Amino acid sequence: MSTFKPITNDDVVSTRTLLHEAIPITGTIASGTYASDGNIKTFSHGMFESVYDYPYLSSSANHIFDVTYGWSSTYSASCATAARGAAQAKKKVNIYNQMAQVLMGYNESGSIRNFDSDGTLDDAANEMHQCIFVNFSRLLVKDEIKKNSFRMKLYTNWSDGHQKVPSATYTLGDYNSANEFRTSPSGDYGLVYKQTSDTSSAGNSVGLIFYQAGIMVLTSSMFAGDFGWDATHAITTSSISLASISGTIENLADGFRRTLVDIDFNNTIELNSSIYFCRVNHNEFNYSANPTYVSDSKLVVKNNYNDLPITYLTTVGLYGADNELLAVAKLSEPIRKDPNTELTLRVRLDY
Amino acid sequence: MAFLDNSGDIILDAVLTDTGRYRLAQGNGAFNIAKFALGDDEINYGLYNKTHASGSAYYGLEVLQTPIMEAFTNNTANLNSRLMSLTRTNILYMPILKLNKHAGIDDGGQNHSSMMFERTAEIAGGYQDEPRFYIAVDSRTDHILRSTRTATQTISQGTPLATTTRGVIQGFTKSGQQGQNKDFIRVDQGLDTTEVSPGPEGLESDLLETAFIIETDYRLGGPKSVDGNIAVYNFIDDDNIASYYLSGNPYVNPAGLIAPKDAYDSEQQSYTLEELDNVNKQVFYGPRGNTLHFRIQASQELRTSTYLFEQLGFSEAATSNSRLGLKAYGNDGALTSTSTCYFIDTTIRITGANTGFRLDLPVRYVKIT
Repeated sequence: MSTFKPITNDDVVSTRTLLHEAIPITGTIASGTYASDGNIKTFSHGMFESVYDYPYLSSSANHIFDVTYGWSSTYSASCATAARGAAQAKKKVNIYNQMAQVLMGYNESGSIRNFDSDGTLDDAANEMHQCIFVNFSRLLVKDEIKKNSFRMKLYTNWSDGHQKVPSATYTLGDYNSANEFRTSPSGDYGLVYKQTSDTSSAGNSVGLIFYQAGIMVLTSSMFAGDFGWDATHAITTSSISLASISGTIENLADGFRRTLVDIDFNNTIELNSSIYFCRVNHNEFNYSANPTYVSDSKLVVKNNYNDLPITYLTTVGLYGADNELLAVAKLSEPIRKDPNTELTLRVRLDY
Repeated sequence: MAFLDNSGDIILDAVLTDTGRYRLAQGNGAFNIAKFALGDDEINYGLYNKTHASGSAYYGLEVLQTPIMEAFTNNTANLNSRLMSLTRTNILYMPILKLNKHAGIDDGGQNHSSMMFERTAEIAGGYQDEPRFYIAVDSRTDHILRSTRTATQTISQGTPLATTTRGVIQGFTKSGQQGQNKDFIRVDQGLDTTEVSPGPEGLESDLLETAFIIETDYRLGGPKSVDGNIAVYNFIDDDNIASYYLSGNPYVNPAGLIAPKDAYDSEQQSYTLEELDNVNKQVFYGPRGNTLHFRIQASQELRTSTYLFEQLGFSEAATSNSRLGLKAYGNDGALTSTSTCYFIDTTIRITGANTGFRLDLPVRYVKIT
């Protein structure tokens, strides 16, 4: 007699399942609808700012993404940014290099490889030297962003009229990544286009999306016309190239946030599961140690010796060798067990 | 926990227990699922209606309607009653565990199965059971609880209380005291019915417990044999609950004690309870299985400090303490004006390793400063 039954190797199987969640992010969160309440967090070092879905001082707030800006050493040297008194010139280079060394790695000479919008790393064509980085929280990305699911709708052009209203809108996406993506030291990445029709040429790409890292890199040159950041939403008369010189990283992050309409993507969760098949034969688990099972030691489910014993199971316990309860599974309703029935209970543990 | 949705297909809601996560985090292979068991904690078999007017198909109707809660993650809160496998289908009676509260069980003249203990009633000139065991964590506490003293008598002096109140278990080991005052806890297994007579065969072999599992809070104490040998735990979970697997001598049917199934009165030619008072008092009228004998050893923290008492228990002034029936300061030479009684209430779970039947014993650790 026993209350335990061994689980053999034949009773266990391991599986891997990919689970996707839809992540919609409305632009009003990013554009600072709650800004006065504090859902945009800035830092004294000024190297990035964080977007929360609720005032970040609240314990209910969830971190959504960070925005930062950087330019390459090549650009900094060619434009003599330091000599021109550019704001946070060194920090912008540091940000670019940090992101590039993590996401793009190093070339054959050991130098940090620049971001390249067409994904072709053996030439200098389409290198991105001034970039906006959007780092999505792991809370949203989980294990990775699902390929060909990333869409970001934003205004890329602002009218210069009195009302300062945005004009052109595009829905950026990794439209071609189902068929074509590349690999980097930080995992897979796809090319981001303004529209589906642009996918005919990799040269039309305006950025990269790193799926496992959960980071989007956009070239700032995709923005045309004015690009502003001031608190009243008024648009400066500066173009993006001038704004990137005179604006701080925080200013540029503010300006980018106000271009957003919405973001949608699907994340991916890798579920590794062990499935335990608990096989209950006809002559097993037909009696119970439940205190209500007996009255004066007599089984309450039987009238005489010849009646079949009956139990109702509600719980499956998975034990270690020392009878230590390691996992437990509950049935949604009791199942009757008697010597006329056999069961196989499939218990899946996800890791 | 909420109830599981039982409106559609049967689903299984599986979760790692806190101990499971703890073993997984250890990363040393301690998380290794080797066996499974089935439980029916929520089921009340009293709802099984064997006289339902519509026939046997409806006997279990109310049982099947029992709503089931989501799984608890606390490993000790699940599978408190397990299903068991017996190849026979013609079993009508099943054994249970029962506390043997009889005093004066003779296994050499020294030991006494602990009475549930109530000192207040003793002071008042009578006796009354209290449903818990008292564990004296140190020698001073044990002396104070076992004797009555005058105002001038010291801790080691005084008059021992009557045998019937010797329900205090010594939760400590002291040189020279191993052979005395070895009050212990005894749990018997058997059929609690008068419809089946006890006999020389005892229980059927497939219903017989040969080992017991004791679970208790390791911070407070653990089992030891009647002779004072401290048991070694099998494992301690994340909640400090230690599990002990006790089998054979000296825990199960200890040597020197007549096995319950052999508790036969030769003069009366009988196995019934009444004639066994002077041999081996029994608690089951039906066939008897094996018995478990053990004492409790308080942890070093309880023996040497009041920290855990202050964290987990409560305290009262010792002078004129009605809970323990102590005299007023000045009338008992062992007490000082600042003497304090510390208590921790807990339970000790005893489970039959074969049948899974269990018994929860309330225990009170006590320390008098």
